[in-house]
Amino acid sequence: MKTTLNDITRIATFAAIIAVLGIPGAVSPFGMAVPITLQTLGVMLAGAILGWWRGAASVLVLLVLTAAGLPLLSGGRGGIGVFFVPSSGYLIGWVLGAAVVGVIVHAGATRPVWWRVALGTVVGGMLAIYAVGIPVMAAMLGLSLGEATIANFAFVPGDAIKAALTVALTMAVWKAYPRAFVTPRQPRVEPTPVSVR
Amino acid sequence: MTMLGQYRARDSILHRLPAGAKLIGLVVVIVAVVVPPPTWWGLGAGAVVVIAGYLVGRLGLAELWRQILAVRWLIVFIVVVPLIFLPIPTVLATAARVVIVLLLAAIVTLTTRTTEILDAVERALRPLRRFGVNPDRIGLMLALTIRTVPVIAGLAGELRDAQRARTGRLSVKAFVVPLLVQSLRHADDTADALAARGVE
Amino acid sequence: MLSGQHDSARDSDIALTRVTVRHPTAAGEVTALDDISLETCAHNLAVIGLNGSGKSTFARLLNGLRTPTQGSVSVGGLDTVTDVRMLRRKVGFVFTNPDAQIVMPTVAEDLAFSLRGRGLSTGQIAERVAAVLAENGLAGHADLPAHDLSGGQKQMLAIQSVLVAEPSLIVADEPTTLLDARNARRIADLLLGLPQQCVIVTHDLELAARCDEALLFDNARLITQGNPRDVIDRYLSEIVARP
Repeated sequence: MKTTLNDITRIATFAAIIAVLGIPGAVSPFGMAVPITLQTLGVMLAGAILGWWRGAASVLVLLVLTAAGLPLLSGGRGGIGVFFVPSSGYLIGWVLGAAVVGVIVHAGATRPVWWRVALGTVVGGMLAIYAVGIPVMAAMLGLSLGEATIANFAFVPGDAIKAALTVALTMAVWKAYPRAFVTPRQPRVEPTPVSVR
Repeated sequence: MTMLGQYRARDSILHRLPAGAKLIGLVVVIVAVVVPPPTWWGLGAGAVVVIAGYLVGRLGLAELWRQILAVRWLIVFIVVVPLIFLPIPTVLATAARVVIVLLLAAIVTLTTRTTEILDAVERALRPLRRFGVNPDRIGLMLALTIRTVPVIAGLAGELRDAQRARTGRLSVKAFVVPLLVQSLRHADDTADALAARGVE
Repeated sequence: MLSGQHDSARDSDIALTRVTVRHPTAAGEVTALDDISLETCAHNLAVIGLNGSGKSTFARLLNGLRTPTQGSVSVGGLDTVTDVRMLRRKVGFVFTNPDAQIVMPTVAEDLAFSLRGRGLSTGQIAERVAAVLAENGLAGHADLPAHDLSGGQKQMLAIQSVLVAEPSLIVADEPTTLLDARNARRIADLLLGLPQQCVIVTHDLELAARCDEALLFDNARLITQGNPRDVIDRYLSEIVARP
């Protein structure tokens, strides 16, 4: 698979978007009452908008930079240590999650359809991430898989809200910028007028 | 957002070690800590290795304390959640193991520049060239992301201010949609710029 | 005007032969340039016109970022479709927004990026980069994140990253639009004073007036080509004043 320059810049840009969604105060959906991180929202959007391999690549790029010491995870976390905590499985699960969302939304489709995005975010953005996250948490904390699954329920309401948001956001981006969903083979349309004087 | 990571510039053996060696060493030590069943002796030895690491790396015990403080909520989480299911000594031993591993990993992060780790990643990928992986492309992607984070953060800040000015409050949809659209436009502009600079 | 010291023998001949550029949009096909033929070897060439008149498309034709749907474009004898690799070495491009153009995290890295793949050693690259930084008052900024530069400094870095690759023609698409008056003047002085040939797309009529020749685009067509003063007069009287 030959990567185009558009692939490279979109992967880098989405990695940056996921990082920015983790900056505290960048977005706070419910005032500051619930310290919710929107980074999983970014992961779901990466798969839904960029497709499976570009989406997964953007998450991978984010994780490599984080491992290298940059504070790109929510709350300014970074460094190799983030891969050795009980929640590390969820981070690794992001890569799989973005890919699964991408497959479900894009396979054989020319445009995003809301029910596919909904299915993708539940199967990819939630279940696939849990499938990696729960066993790692269980192993690290000495819990059984059943016990870890129960603990995992703490994340479900927040993730369900993010999945629903992803559907709305993906359909809105499709309306506002359809080019986002196709890799341009052609040079782009008109450069945006920067200012009108 | 600082792009310097958490590197602490010092002159020590640990700082001078190549990044790849430190990463492999870290994995070896972590396996030694994690694989055998936890005993108080084993955990004590782990704690000694951690303290020795911070001293040899000339990071100091104050830095060690800062690192522990940085993960205090994580410690609370890994103690409280398993307590629902497991007896106290088991929980404490498991938690101690996680904290030791974290503090060891932090030694590598604190003594290695971001660029050294990224170079090590690029070098490690070189043998994959024959499978169609292009390490230069991946290096470009990583560097480009570091450059792009502050640009997107700037866009997010402008959008937030603009929205506050218009409506006085924030809605996720009215914020994230323009952020995504403008970011993707920026990505396409950057692709043009790369082409203009002779990247193929 | 300002071109006294340049060696006009090195300036490239820019030639468009019956060039039409169309692109598809949601609303159907749009014609960005319609049957343009022109030839020029002006040292400093201004390109003016309203937003969406086709001038940015014209600029992007010159380094092959856009390709003609019909007709052909040649710059210094190179066809912009078949010789695009050579062309990109010869033609440097300055964008309106330096944030899109600066691709590397720090100032020195971005300059060095322009020199990769030329068989230079790391030491040679570092030397060239240091020299450019020193000449442009950025000497202390080598390891600064590009993000920490001011708007004017960013555009200066973007232009220096183009110049360090030693192109023989520089195409600039509204290089001063995002800058304050003082920085705009500074960038204009830099571009017009270069030994290299420059094509400058601009809304800054003062800058356009300082060029040797000007092109006026309107509605995808080339309206006139000639002395900048006359071209600007026609722009103001016929197009800007149009109801």
